[in-house]
Amino acid sequence: MSGMDRRSFFKVVATSGAAAVAGGCGPSAEKLIPYVSPPEDIVPGIPAYYSTVCRECPAGCGLVAKNRDGRIIKLEGNPDHPVNAGTLCIRGQAGLQGLYHPDRFRGALASGKPLAWEEAEKQLADRLGALAKAKQGSRIALVSGLETGSLGRLMDEWTRALGARPRIAYEPLGYEALRAANRITFGRDAIPDYGIGEATYLLSFGADFLETWLSPVGYATDFARMHAFTRGRAGTFVHVEPRQSMTAANADEWVKNAPGTEGLLALAMLKVIVDEGLQAAGADAGALRGAVRSADVAAAASASGVPADTIKRVAHDFARSRGGLAIGGGMAMTGPNATETLVAVNLLNVAVGAVGTRVRFGSESALSKSSPYADMMKLTQAMAQGQVDVLIFVGVNPVYNMPPRSGFAEALGKVAQVVSLATGPSETTARAHMVLPTLHPLESWGDYVPEEGVIGLMQPAMGPVEIDGKAVEAKSTGDILLSVGRQALGTEEGKGPLKWASFQEYVTEEWKKLAATFGGGKSFPDFWEASLKRGGVWRPVSAAGAAARVDATRVPAAPAKLEGDGTHALLVYPSARFYDGRGADKPWLQEAPDTMTQVAWDGWVEVPTETAAKLGLRRGDIVRLTSPHGSIELPAYPSELIHSGAVAVAMGQGHDFPGSYAIHGFSTPGTRPAGTHFLNVGANPMALLGFAPEAASGGLPHLAVKVSLTATGTRRPLAVPQATFNQDDREIAQHIGLAQARELELRGRAPEHASHPSMYPPLKYPEHRWGMAVDVDACIGCQACVVACVAENNVPVVGKEQVAYGRDQHWLRLERWQEGTPAHPENIFLPMFCQHCEVAPCEPVCPVYAAYHTQEGLNAQVYNRCVGTRYCGNNCPYHVRRFNWFSYAWTSPLDVQLNPDVTVRQLGVMEKCTMCLQRIVAGKAQARDENRPVKDGEIVTACQQTCPTQAITFGDLKEGGARVSRLSRSPRGYHVLEELGTRPAVTYLKKVVRAEAAATGGAEKGHKS
Amino acid sequence: MSAPPPGTAQAAQATWADVNRDVIRTVGMPGDRYFAWMCLVALTLAAGVAAWAYQIWVGMGAAGKRTPQMWAMYITTFVFWIGIGHAGTLISAILYLFRAKWRTSVYRAAEAMTVFAVMTAGLFPLIHAGRMWFAYWLMPYPNQRYLWPNFKSPLVWDVFAISTYLTISVVFFIVGLVPDVAALRDQSTGIRKKIYAVISLGWEGSDSQWRHYRRAYGLLAALATPLVLSVHSVVSFDFAMALVPGWHSTLFAPFFVDGAIFSGFAMVLILLLPMRYLFNWYAYINEKHLDAMAKLILTTSLVLTYFYSCEVFTAWYSGDHFERASVFAKASKQYAWAYWLMYFCNSVVPMVLWSKKARTSVVTLYIVSILVIIGMWFERFNIIVPGLGFDFYPYTWGTYYPTITDTTIIIGSFAWFFILFLGFIRVMPSLSIVEVKEVLPHPMKHAHRGHH
Repeated sequence: MSGMDRRSFFKVVATSGAAAVAGGCGPSAEKLIPYVSPPEDIVPGIPAYYSTVCRECPAGCGLVAKNRDGRIIKLEGNPDHPVNAGTLCIRGQAGLQGLYHPDRFRGALASGKPLAWEEAEKQLADRLGALAKAKQGSRIALVSGLETGSLGRLMDEWTRALGARPRIAYEPLGYEALRAANRITFGRDAIPDYGIGEATYLLSFGADFLETWLSPVGYATDFARMHAFTRGRAGTFVHVEPRQSMTAANADEWVKNAPGTEGLLALAMLKVIVDEGLQAAGADAGALRGAVRSADVAAAASASGVPADTIKRVAHDFARSRGGLAIGGGMAMTGPNATETLVAVNLLNVAVGAVGTRVRFGSESALSKSSPYADMMKLTQAMAQGQVDVLIFVGVNPVYNMPPRSGFAEALGKVAQVVSLATGPSETTARAHMVLPTLHPLESWGDYVPEEGVIGLMQPAMGPVEIDGKAVEAKSTGDILLSVGRQALGTEEGKGPLKWASFQEYVTEEWKKLAATFGGGKSFPDFWEASLKRGGVWRPVSAAGAAARVDATRVPAAPAKLEGDGTHALLVYPSARFYDGRGADKPWLQEAPDTMTQVAWDGWVEVPTETAAKLGLRRGDIVRLTSPHGSIELPAYPSELIHSGAVAVAMGQGHDFPGSYAIHGFSTPGTRPAGTHFLNVGANPMALLGFAPEAASGGLPHLAVKVSLTATGTRRPLAVPQATFNQDDREIAQHIGLAQARELELRGRAPEHASHPSMYPPLKYPEHRWGMAVDVDACIGCQACVVACVAENNVPVVGKEQVAYGRDQHWLRLERWQEGTPAHPENIFLPMFCQHCEVAPCEPVCPVYAAYHTQEGLNAQVYNRCVGTRYCGNNCPYHVRRFNWFSYAWTSPLDVQLNPDVTVRQLGVMEKCTMCLQRIVAGKAQARDENRPVKDGEIVTACQQTCPTQAITFGDLKEGGARVSRLSRSPRGYHVLEELGTRPAVTYLKKVVRAEAAATGGAEKGHKS
Repeated sequence: MSAPPPGTAQAAQATWADVNRDVIRTVGMPGDRYFAWMCLVALTLAAGVAAWAYQIWVGMGAAGKRTPQMWAMYITTFVFWIGIGHAGTLISAILYLFRAKWRTSVYRAAEAMTVFAVMTAGLFPLIHAGRMWFAYWLMPYPNQRYLWPNFKSPLVWDVFAISTYLTISVVFFIVGLVPDVAALRDQSTGIRKKIYAVISLGWEGSDSQWRHYRRAYGLLAALATPLVLSVHSVVSFDFAMALVPGWHSTLFAPFFVDGAIFSGFAMVLILLLPMRYLFNWYAYINEKHLDAMAKLILTTSLVLTYFYSCEVFTAWYSGDHFERASVFAKASKQYAWAYWLMYFCNSVVPMVLWSKKARTSVVTLYIVSILVIIGMWFERFNIIVPGLGFDFYPYTWGTYYPTITDTTIIIGSFAWFFILFLGFIRVMPSLSIVEVKEVLPHPMKHAHRGHH
């Protein structure tokens, strides 16, 4: 991230301290210029950038919100932020759809009916006050999400002031077992920071760190640092998991094990290391030997189905790499023995001396502070016994996230007053007696601590959203609690335990305390202003080691015992798109296909092909899964990429509240109304799980049951835009062996690209020739670019039916291609978009010059001129052109998000990737204003900007020294379908396949004619 | 002389007077059956128009197109109708220049078919365009902004090819009608007489008029002759100039022209055989004519089969992976039924015409013709839909499904053609009085010679 950092940084700086003033005002987003007297940083047509924090998951990445004329139109990562360094994941990009969600609550509701705020607050305060006065505060409970900053502290002060039960910080993905294992091994009840970037050999036991695990954006960035060939490191990554997840697909070697045997495998590997004396110098060999006494490589091999040779080889390589790091604890792996499994993983780290270097206590994850699931079960019991009178939910949805067998929903019926503070509807708000709408995090003040030493500061990047010409009547959570709390206690502003006039004041006061530590001698206003600009404060935390205590009784002795007598272990895994389900009502996320299956919308169950054949299931046939706790029905997705003894269902779908998208899906106007075939129903796999927490950690075991499968004989076709994962010997996604890549890199010859003789003179580019380089080796398939492109370029959502029929409108699609054996393939992820060919097949066939070549090498499309013959779409060999089959609609207020710099295309015209033409224009204008040439790296496309692994580079190919030019000359470079002679401006760099994987993954496929 | 007994396949030699009477009889007041048929056709057409209106309103998504099959049944049917027209021009122009006498009794109907087929085909580029209200941008017209169409685009060539074809065909058709309309004028009364008088352009049948007429007719025939080859060649360039595997081939121009004549003759038979029965024209359209047209169908079928094998051979021989995969996919994947149906209809079925009996059997010819028409529609379908469905990029491979909207529009296009044709045969001589007389023995010299 060279120039990009600088540029974005300057933008942020330019917003100056007035940002603080701007955020505080009450703007209305619908009016063109929403301020009566605009603050100085809002200039019509000129975007202002506000730093804040992404609150889509507990990772707490830094954000920069682009505000144009008083409305946020784009979210980008904060380049300064230590967690995500300027990039964002797919969920972060889609955060805007939560802000502008059509279902957002417009005002306070009581029993579903509108109620004046004052009245609602008074009703709640009266009840709370009565309980507090009667010293029955323990009948009040507050359940919030993970809030590690001022809001969390305020909520704790609030509960103390009212004498309420201690607040529960409920995170459905709580990683309790990680903490428990660290408590056992290191005596630290915390989740350390894992130095994936520093590892040379990463051994993951089901930790989906590229999808949801702890802090996926940060870890993806680290992973690229450790693994991408361009960075010169080319470390090794081995992943153990019964299902080939997206993370597993990025591994050099995917070890397919029987579900629940990760602990045995880890211990067997430890045994190999200890037996052969490969442990690091400082490791206590004696203690480790004690721990592996019961371990047996042969037994582990037969239980897990992983050959003993593989176990030995991986153990050797891991120990000898001198940079080994073992991680574990992905949600799909948390069985009833998750803690023991993770103890074994910890011991592996101990054995290779990773603790203190690559396992860093000190900069601990925010997730160390969430309440274990067991606390929720205790609350459920208290509720069921009638011990809770007032229950307040703050932005959480336990009715959906808790297993139905926990009885949470039923127990909720015994609570006299259920209050939900939320931005939009959910299963929980549907059951609440009172709903108090909160401002979206992008409209609120606050702060968040994603890890020790990093405090992200949140400021309102715009005023409350207007729906139908009226701003939503919402308040920030802090303000609601302060106001209600004071009324309940009968205290006045400025006095008592909840004295602050507003939550903003509380945050400022908290930051005054921080100024002492982080201020560096600056006055508070200066410190505050600097923190707002920068998006928070952070300082390096020295990695702390931890003494390991090896407890031989706490290591796994057997595979995880799964409940029930079904035939297949059920893998319930968090979705990279919906996390625990909180993203399911965002159409951008629904429409971006799941990378591994390429399924958009709906839910599915991944069934091993053998089982599917036995049951006669084709893709889309509905199958019933029955566990001892319940049953659900889902369309089958037969797959070779899953262990034959397992089926997998992603979390996040199967909602049952009256929302716009989570249930009903989306249907394009003019198409037939969504019939049962195309409902975006899915199913919630939590219905199959038991409710008992794991004794050692208090976490909910997600790998806990066996299910039986029954074909129902009905069908619901899935929307899968990718027709096949087999590229049929076409040179679309290419790879090369590591040794060969290194040799080529040394020789340093740029490959010659195919070119056909032409009767036309060569094209001249007087100033620029824009181009891109995509490093397929770095691409992890996270789809963040897809949604970033959608957000930047006003790409419409078309719904399941249209996606299924090949009419998705995405300008950028993320393809997954398989090479090698189908059951153990090498996966190549290929971001495909307009190649801006120099000899573009689309251009000559257009009868009206709507498709033409600009003098800067862009293949432009003039929407106004397009007649819609679609000849260009036929003639494009990459099929990246998108036709407006219908008039696509943006439900209000989602239309407020539209980028004013990009045309909304009308019915009947062709569209496609423009390489973010609007950004090129802005960059050139900026350079012209400053009377200088455009600098390399100054203009970044939306996809490039968000890419956590920086797989995409944009720039001027005429500039020989530009990064894009250097990459385009890489010996690994190739053009997709090069032999057609289209001479694309996009160069792909072949994926580098490590030798081990190449051995199992199939034949070398470098050059083929 | 008396009229031939109705219902016999072989009728006695007709006389000049028979010709006048038999032709003029066809333009009288039609019966209820005719109106019933017209109602049916008009209703179908109305459904097609409604479907088109719906498609304009909702968007092209109403038709079953998708990525990558951005062209589908509309272009299929466009090429189909253009092809149909070719037989008419071949009969009326080329066979005229070669003085093939058997053409006289079929050319009028064939020429009408040409004009109406081109009028039908011409609708499809409009139906197909995403923003049909801007379709006029494809024409080169002077404008303030100096915007011109892209002369490199085969679609612009199409505009010229089709409009030229339509113009020449219509002029040729009208000129050929003049003496016959004059004959009708002389036989009719009232308003009809007035209308025919206008159309007959003051034709009196004088020697100088005949001399000019012959020259003009010959000239137009000479002008129309190259169009038989050029128009469909240009239409084939829509495909041949594109990159799609199975499209990008030098074979396409002759392949398309041959296919056009093949399907055109089948259509001529489909139209003429019922006319012969209903109008009792056995005297004019006899076994000789059927035999000649059947032989042409057989010949063009053989040539077409040769092209089919060339297509497969070049795909294999080129060694080009995309070409091979495309042919293989067409023959074996979800569209295989359409592919093999095409071979059956176009290459296998016409082989029955080796038998003289089949060539003169009305029933056999009719069945063969209908199958040929189906086969030729599917030939274009197979080029476009599976061709696009299995091109370079496997990610987008997939199946196109027709919708009610596009199917109704396609059926409506047939209704449009038939409403024009059915209307024509009731108001205009669909058998050329003049030319049929030319091939009949001359009546007595003194009979009505030049006394107008």
